[in-house]
Amino acid sequence: MKNGLTWKQAVLFFLLAAVLAAGCAKKQTVKSGDVSGETASSATPAPGAEAIGETPVTEAPVPKPGESTVLAARAAEAGVAVTEEKPSRFTDVRFDFDKADLTEEGKRSCQVVAEYMKKNPKARVTVEGHCDERGSAEYNLALGERRAVTVKNYLVSLGVPKGAISTVSFGKERPVDPGHNEEAWAKNRRAHFLLK
Amino acid sequence: MRRSTKLAGTLGLLCTLLLPSAASPVLYIDINAPGGKRMPIAVASFVVASGDPALSRSVPKVLEGDLALTDLFDLVPEKSHMEAVTPAHFSGTPLSFPAWKVIGAEAVVIGKVDTRGDQVSVEMRLYDATQGTLMAGKRYTGTPRQVRGIAHRFANEIVYAFTGVRGIFGTEIAFTARPGAGKGKGKEIYIVGMDGQELRQVTDNRSFNLFPHWSPDGQWLAYTSYRTGVPVIYLRNVAGGSEKEGVRFGNTKSPGGFSPDGQWLYAAVSQDGNSDIYRVRVVGGTAETVVGGYGLDVSPSPSPDGRGLVFVSDRGGSPQVYVKTLGEANGVRISHGSGYATSPSWSPAGNRIAFTARAEGKFAVFTVAPDGSDLRQVTGAPDGDCEDPSFSPDGRYLVYSYRKRGYSELKIISTDGRQERTLASGLGDMGSPAWSPGR
Repeated sequence: MKNGLTWKQAVLFFLLAAVLAAGCAKKQTVKSGDVSGETASSATPAPGAEAIGETPVTEAPVPKPGESTVLAARAAEAGVAVTEEKPSRFTDVRFDFDKADLTEEGKRSCQVVAEYMKKNPKARVTVEGHCDERGSAEYNLALGERRAVTVKNYLVSLGVPKGAISTVSFGKERPVDPGHNEEAWAKNRRAHFLLK
Repeated sequence: MRRSTKLAGTLGLLCTLLLPSAASPVLYIDINAPGGKRMPIAVASFVVASGDPALSRSVPKVLEGDLALTDLFDLVPEKSHMEAVTPAHFSGTPLSFPAWKVIGAEAVVIGKVDTRGDQVSVEMRLYDATQGTLMAGKRYTGTPRQVRGIAHRFANEIVYAFTGVRGIFGTEIAFTARPGAGKGKGKEIYIVGMDGQELRQVTDNRSFNLFPHWSPDGQWLAYTSYRTGVPVIYLRNVAGGSEKEGVRFGNTKSPGGFSPDGQWLYAAVSQDGNSDIYRVRVVGGTAETVVGGYGLDVSPSPSPDGRGLVFVSDRGGSPQVYVKTLGEANGVRISHGSGYATSPSWSPAGNRIAFTARAEGKFAVFTVAPDGSDLRQVTGAPDGDCEDPSFSPDGRYLVYSYRKRGYSELKIISTDGRQERTLASGLGDMGSPAWSPGR
């Protein structure tokens, strides 16, 4: 940094400051809801000039109405109990890490479900796909979906009508075993059957 | 008034001509020189002309807290300050700069608060104590609860005055967590200030609320909610809380980033067990396929120029990171190895991509050039998993989730890995952090 204004420069400097400050003070306006004001007024003041820029910090703008479905606000949010595992009369289908292929054991679980569905034509089943906790939540969501659809397709191949089966993935969000080891992970990589 | 403004303009020009040294821009701090000299700065107690006397210290504390988050400043503690700032210092009386220099301050911040009913006016000035010159000065008005935000804005001015790069104070991080220290079964969306303050819960529906992503104007959050029993992508107005459905087709879906112009939302949508990447018009909902074909394609993050896209695909057998130019086919893999690479985030300057990959059995955060060259590991925790990176608006930091068995927290790390701090902890399964755009 460089030192030293002459006293003449200093006097001029403060005179300028006074003039600029007076000019700015009169321009003060505060508009509610105006955020764009900042761009116009935040120009860097000329170096050396003691100009106080002013920037309105305003209330958050009123939300635009949604184009079509404006859904209820927070107060009206109604949660559906999807966060806890509901017990099933069927055995879960288990999967290997990062895989959605059916094992022989998994196929046997599916066969039991298929027999039941064929004997009970009015029954409806939801296949839930789940993953273990490792890896990204987004990828696991898609992997859980692929597991559920693999099971659905196998049930269809065994004669269950397509319309009787729905699928949903919970990715890694709803482990049945909260542990952080191989045993827990193996249980959590699963397709779970729920009769409706 | 018109005349005086014109006069001031003329004199301002004159001033520039007379004082050429003051007019030339001075780069005080080179932010690209890590470990360089820090600027010693003093934030004086504020003058409270009217209103709550506690503001005299509480506003400087916000400024000091912000400046301390950077590695650019050394704060000269208040107890060593020798000069008491008075209202006269805001109407022409110069500060006694030697009294600041002698305690080691090369820069001084002063401020004045004026409360009139429900309006607070805060004037703040930054001086170069060595030259005795004003580097930045602003007067802000707002409601009492906006005072923190006002202080953040001036902290950004201070950083800008010294570095030429806007600060990121007042920005926020949206993330997901299980409430009640993880005892809650669902996951809700939360927002926390980048300084770790002002944590608030956004959703409260006891289902799964996942993958928050900010619109470029910072007004909307796209996220997936299971509150109707199945996954639905909502666009939520952050300030008002109103929502609309963002993607109206497919089964499982997760939002990625918005296009830089805010007109499109990128999202991964599964149909028949196969996840592809689409972009959907925020207004109207028209959808276009961006990445299709066999393989799970998820986690789209557009480049800041809007022409490229980075995403995850398992088309090669395991999830890996790919970059493609929009309108062209396929994409090029930029992650290495046979492991597992996910969660890409494109830097605001466009020159780096952060992502999660496995390193020695754990997940760590890496950055890489968009062509796959110059891979660097950013996080080095040997005992836990570091995942889900998201860039700060100035590109200098990454927020990510840290997990070790049942424990989790959010951390912020400089992209060179030198500086790290905990942003938030105390909730369960904290993850999917998304840094808001600049303010």
